[in-house]
Amino acid sequence: MSTETPSAAALDAVAAFNPDDLHQLAELGTVVAAARDALSDDIIARAAGAFSEGITLLDRLTRNEGLVHLLQEMDREENQQFLISMSNAFTAASRDLATAPPASGGIGGLLRLLSDPGTQEGLRLMALIGARLSDSMRDIHRRGG
Amino acid sequence: MRILIVGGGTGGTIVANNLARRLAEEIRGGRVRLTMLSASDRHMYQPGLLYVAFGQMMPDELYRKQKSLLESSIDFHVDPVEEFMLDQNRVRTAGGRTHEYDVMVIATGSRIVPHEIPGLEEGAETFYSEAGAIKMFKALRQFQEGTVAIVVGVPHKCPIAPVEVTFALHDYFVARGIRDKVHIKYHYPIGRIHTIENVAKWAVPEFERMGIETETLFNIREVDPKHQVVHSEEGTETHYDLLIAIPPHRGMEVIETQKLGTGGWIPTDRNQLTMEGHDNVYVVGDTTNLPVSKTGSAAHFEAEVVAQNIASLVKIGAPVCEYDGKVYCFIETGHNSATYAMFNYENPPQLKTPNKAMHWFKTSYNKMYWTSVRGLL
Repeated sequence: MSTETPSAAALDAVAAFNPDDLHQLAELGTVVAAARDALSDDIIARAAGAFSEGITLLDRLTRNEGLVHLLQEMDREENQQFLISMSNAFTAASRDLATAPPASGGIGGLLRLLSDPGTQEGLRLMALIGARLSDSMRDIHRRGG
Repeated sequence: MRILIVGGGTGGTIVANNLARRLAEEIRGGRVRLTMLSASDRHMYQPGLLYVAFGQMMPDELYRKQKSLLESSIDFHVDPVEEFMLDQNRVRTAGGRTHEYDVMVIATGSRIVPHEIPGLEEGAETFYSEAGAIKMFKALRQFQEGTVAIVVGVPHKCPIAPVEVTFALHDYFVARGIRDKVHIKYHYPIGRIHTIENVAKWAVPEFERMGIETETLFNIREVDPKHQVVHSEEGTETHYDLLIAIPPHRGMEVIETQKLGTGGWIPTDRNQLTMEGHDNVYVVGDTTNLPVSKTGSAAHFEAEVVAQNIASLVKIGAPVCEYDGKVYCFIETGHNSATYAMFNYENPPQLKTPNKAMHWFKTSYNKMYWTSVRGLL
């Protein structure tokens, strides 16, 4: 077992540095001292407050079963494609809306919209998702969730 | 299992959140029900009051909605307990409701009783309530010169408070440029300047360096606000121009009126933290009669032991750990420096040299407290 004191060991370690190492160490020390001087109680308190709220949020997110499941589902290739399709659809819809005249209203307008094949496709998709969602929620309630 | 937590301060909140995490499956499956009864819908960070008294924090920074700090699975009611029926495992609240339990945690805390010392309420400034801290700040702002006397009632919450407020006063008057016109005199009830021997040894040279006069064996008997004099039980007296008092404390009134413990402190097993004679009742924080400091940190460490043991009772039918008396106190020493005292039943604190990093640690903790009571840190 070594009988060397910790401070003697530290001095030996410093003596083993070459001048370049020592210069870099001095630079690092200057940076740490500068950061320390630049900090104030307010900065520390704000940073700690942000950290505190951030870690709380992260904790809630990671313990939220629904969000975790959603993230797992998002790992599937088809769902990532769905997200891409959905964002493309939002962009296209936004452009279409910008160039379309305002809706005229009335039953006639509604019938024209409903007879459009695109609207029917959209409604079919929504109905399919709704049916699946309804089945899933009924199942959760049946299991006492 | 029905678990009832009485009190929504530091200890009660940590027990509740810790249990909600440990027993999430059981709660979801309906096998465990977690209920908290509190006297307030707000939760206060009490150590912040000292900063309010020196204008370093605003009162609104000290509060959060209690509901926002609790796990959603905890059934929370603002309805304080008025009657404990320990032999029937039930309590009755101020709202007239009855709650039955299989396990109960009592964490009702403590209260200041300055009125028990004649003249103290009228004559002294304190920082143990929001209104008191604001009033003390205004008094300090107006103070220009003379003697500031610090007196200490017993028992009191936060053992470090007397030395911390003294350091803070020194710093405050230095910052205002009037330290040479202010005489600071510190009084303490026992034969040294702090109840913890190592803190006393460490503080003596610090006080000398700051030019603070000390008087020990000074138990407040009476304050005479008219003549600005404090009389001690020992027969001495001190004149002051501004009096700062650490007020005496008692446990909550309901604990006394229900005869659960003398002075409002419940007789508690020092390791299991169960109420003496009632194995299904746990006691946490200031409410215990344990020979440990009445601080948030003691409540925190006790709460973790209690939560771990209740959870293990639910899961395997037996407790798994014991409280060792651990306490951790930050000590703000002025000049943007701080140190800390950590101790337990067996080991007294060994104080380190104060430094700026510890001051920032404390500054950070003032914000991270909320993460702590949520059961994360």
